[in-house]
Amino acid sequence: MGIVTVLWEKWTEFRRDFYKITVAAMISPLMYLIIFGMGIQTTSHGEPYLHFLIPGIVAMATMTGSFSAIAQNMSVQRLYEKALDQVMVSPTPLWQFILGQIIGGSLRGLYAGGIILLLTSPIRTDLTFNGLSVIIMFLNGMVFSTIALVLSFLAKSYTDAPRFTSYIIMPMSFLCNTFFATDQMPAGFRQVVSALPLSQTSSMIRAIANGEAPGIAGFVILGAYLAVFGLLSVWFIYKKKNL
Amino acid sequence: MIELRNLTKKFDDFTAVDNVSFQVKTGEFFGLLGPNGAGKTTTISMISTVLLPTAGEILVDGKILDRKASKEKRKLSVITQEYSMRQDMNMDEVMEYQGRLYFLPLKEIRRKTEELLDFVGLTEFRKRTVRRLSGGMKRKLMVCRALLIEPEILLLDEPTAGMDAISRRQMWNLLRQLHERGMTIILTTHYIEEAQNLCNRVAMMNKGKLVKLDSPDALIQELGAFTVDETGEEGLVSRYFHEREEAIQYLSTAGNQAALRATTLEDVFVEVAGRKLT
Repeated sequence: MGIVTVLWEKWTEFRRDFYKITVAAMISPLMYLIIFGMGIQTTSHGEPYLHFLIPGIVAMATMTGSFSAIAQNMSVQRLYEKALDQVMVSPTPLWQFILGQIIGGSLRGLYAGGIILLLTSPIRTDLTFNGLSVIIMFLNGMVFSTIALVLSFLAKSYTDAPRFTSYIIMPMSFLCNTFFATDQMPAGFRQVVSALPLSQTSSMIRAIANGEAPGIAGFVILGAYLAVFGLLSVWFIYKKKNL
Repeated sequence: MIELRNLTKKFDDFTAVDNVSFQVKTGEFFGLLGPNGAGKTTTISMISTVLLPTAGEILVDGKILDRKASKEKRKLSVITQEYSMRQDMNMDEVMEYQGRLYFLPLKEIRRKTEELLDFVGLTEFRKRTVRRLSGGMKRKLMVCRALLIEPEILLLDEPTAGMDAISRRQMWNLLRQLHERGMTIILTTHYIEEAQNLCNRVAMMNKGKLVKLDSPDALIQELGAFTVDETGEEGLVSRYFHEREEAIQYLSTAGNQAALRATTLEDVFVEVAGRKLT
């Protein structure tokens, strides 16, 4: 029931800011597609670079869509509007509030990824996107929603949210299997970057796009991130003394 | 009944609330008084579970109140000092969000929203977002939001702060009506007149400590119901008397710069806390 309340709140927000949300979800990925995929026409492993790039951009869009839907919003609600107090006082079980945020954030990520799929659909690529791709996008969105929740509970001011984006989202966007494969990175650094959630998501979506089966390890790694950050966000909302 | 047992709240080295204990009976109108920084808001924030105590506990009808206590939290509603609402929601959405958080059926939420917004004269502004409301409108909306769920216990943190005299009187009348209907009300204020007019009992706080707890009348009687204010070289000095005759007798010996008046709750606080309330 509490989950439905949060989803209703997210839906209200989405309906109101539909154009802003849609344009924001499109701009960066579209720029990357135009510049790297169409402007600088290269090949990768004998294939047009666009074939490599599109799955990575879809994964990246789900990450940024989910993260920004939660991080900025929750920081402002907690620190500036104090609207989180309304939730804390209410009888809605707080774990349901957290789960609602995670699902709501993930749906926003899915929407952002879906827009990229729609925009790239006229391009002839022979890439495959199926139900499993959607599940992976949703899972990726859940992971980044929980990360955003934890960070927004740690934020000391609502201006911290853009900083989190600069420190976490931007480096991941560029490094994690989006624009180039992690196997080209130096040993040590490669293993670290490969273990990050976006690298796994990109890798799995790319495998499906190329007609291959995604590795089970990707699901395990994403599941582990989801469990750790999900539990952390639940712990924060129940136990943090000065929320 | 709400019971605070040895409640303490520390922020690093600063103790905002220091070992405070009191009980608020069902149906009581209870005031928490104190100057700015006395620990009133921190106490209310702990009762509403927004802050967790460093030590001590809060019980509602004998059950420990914490963030997991949904059943106990269902009885509470809070009007915070700050406007704690989503700025981008309109009034209908603010009310619906509140109703949904308290699991009210949609039909009931809409009916009560209609009634409450009409009662406070906000119906025509219902599609306006919170961001575009005046301070007074926001305050009224917060009252509507708190009453939507028909709480058993209403917590009000400085509900009339920043209100003009007319709005303040309207708020007092509303609170009296709610109290007459049997609602338990806990109010923090630094307007002593407000507490004296409304509360059955008041707890006086200063520097995080509970310094006095009784009914306004009892506190005034204890100090002396009659006051003679004397202006001398040391400034204004007040003397308190239990009997009118005693006060008049003292007045007759005092100089021209002296006046007799009834003792107020503010006098009690000044004597207890040693500082004038603002």
